[in-house]
Amino acid sequence: MEQHLVDCDLCFDALQVLQQQQYREKYQPLSASMQQYIRNSIKQVSHAHKAERYQRQEQKKESFLIYFWVVAAIAAGAGLIYLIQQQDKFKPSVTKAMASNAEIPAQRVEAPAVQAAVVTPVRAERADTLSHRPAPPAATTTAPVAPPAATPAPATPKPVIKDSVKAKTPAAVPVNKDSAKKQAPPATKPAEVKETVKAPAPEHKDTPTVAKKTEDKPEPKPVPKEKKDDDDDKPKPKPATETAASGTDEFLYKAAMVYHQQGDLNEAISRYKHLSGSSGKYGELSRYQLAVCYRSKGQTGKARRMFKEVVRMNGSMKDKAQAALDNL
Amino acid sequence: MLQQLSNLSDKELISRARKLKDQEAEGVLMERYSHLMVAVCLPYLNNGPATSPEEIYPALLQRLSDSLKTQTIPKANEWIHYTIRAQQARTDKNSPFFPSTESREQQQIEARIEKAATNQKEQQQLIATIERTLDKLSAEEKYLLKEFYMNNKSFAALAETKQISIEKLRQTLQQAKQKMASLLMNETYE
Repeated sequence: MEQHLVDCDLCFDALQVLQQQQYREKYQPLSASMQQYIRNSIKQVSHAHKAERYQRQEQKKESFLIYFWVVAAIAAGAGLIYLIQQQDKFKPSVTKAMASNAEIPAQRVEAPAVQAAVVTPVRAERADTLSHRPAPPAATTTAPVAPPAATPAPATPKPVIKDSVKAKTPAAVPVNKDSAKKQAPPATKPAEVKETVKAPAPEHKDTPTVAKKTEDKPEPKPVPKEKKDDDDDKPKPKPATETAASGTDEFLYKAAMVYHQQGDLNEAISRYKHLSGSSGKYGELSRYQLAVCYRSKGQTGKARRMFKEVVRMNGSMKDKAQAALDNL
Repeated sequence: MLQQLSNLSDKELISRARKLKDQEAEGVLMERYSHLMVAVCLPYLNNGPATSPEEIYPALLQRLSDSLKTQTIPKANEWIHYTIRAQQARTDKNSPFFPSTESREQQQIEARIEKAATNQKEQQQLIATIERTLDKLSAEEKYLLKEFYMNNKSFAALAETKQISIEKLRQTLQQAKQKMASLLMNETYE
């Protein structure tokens, strides 16, 4: 204790004071009342109160945390959905754009096969039907001739077909050609099925011709016109995607726009060029964009020509094209 | 809760009162020293205006509570003693409490000794340095320190052999201890 007293002035002073009798009497009640006073002053912040406050604070913290996480989760979810949507939007356009590159050659490559697969049977069918129609007597005649060989049916009709084709195809094919060119109403009844397939073909033939009139490059167009194979190529995907044609145009246009916006003018131009042949508003729009591309490339001559074409098309972009022409 | 708080050290109570604004911790600390405050203030009661126990003790507690929030307090007893003295001197200017250099040095040495308690090598080194510094002290100081701390002689016995008052003896011992602490600290700096 004395060792502590050496260091502690407070205790030493207190001891010195308490050694005197007069103070010792006062000391007890005073220190008791002092303790009481201190206790009273901290009573307000009693344990119960404090625990309650602490609990409330914790609860608040927790609820804030919960709110925070809920908000964060919602935000993350929304972000994810948005991202997925964006990706979906971007992907198809890009893939379509990529596909559009591959589509045409693919079509061309596929076309003969498809033709072989589809058209020849049609012809065969036609031949069949033709042969069946005019040659019911022949069939009837042949039928009795080869009743025992009726089971290998393909064997017997084949020569008949060959005959009938030899005999009738010269007649049938021109008819078909006529029907294609004149939107032939006099198509035969069985050919009606084909007509539904082929019916759009003349329409599309018309549109390229309309486009041909306005366009300066007739080179790629006449080829499909003259060649029947190519003729079949073009219409074929279109009837199948007749309703989606404008959709694909839209995608192609958007893909071109993406390249345009990215500053890849050459790619954009080739895509717009590709699209400019199509009818409808995308043909016009792509021509307009083509002109814009030329203008930004500094090829004002080409740009002017394109703008003029757009003006001549007399579509929704006419005013803008005219304004652009005036500014050139 | 109060029970738990009263088991804490002064330092912990002070940091609680300061960081968590825990008034209970503050109250426990005040209560711990209340009897000493009462005793030290006794001679100054009813000595003049505003010196009644009902005025002087609340004022003192308020002053301590204010300074607790702002000042560095390495030793609570020194801080309370300083505040009581300041109040008794009636200085309106509330000069802040700073621990003296000697006190700080003493504390550092104490901390070092505590740290060395588990390390024998360090202990031996410390013993050697303490013996060296003891030799630097005057003969009387050395004698008093040795008798008081090593032979555990009481104030009264020492005061009697030296023919001095207990207060003077205590002062001498305190000064000797502080001197030794400064010497030890200087040795470490060298």
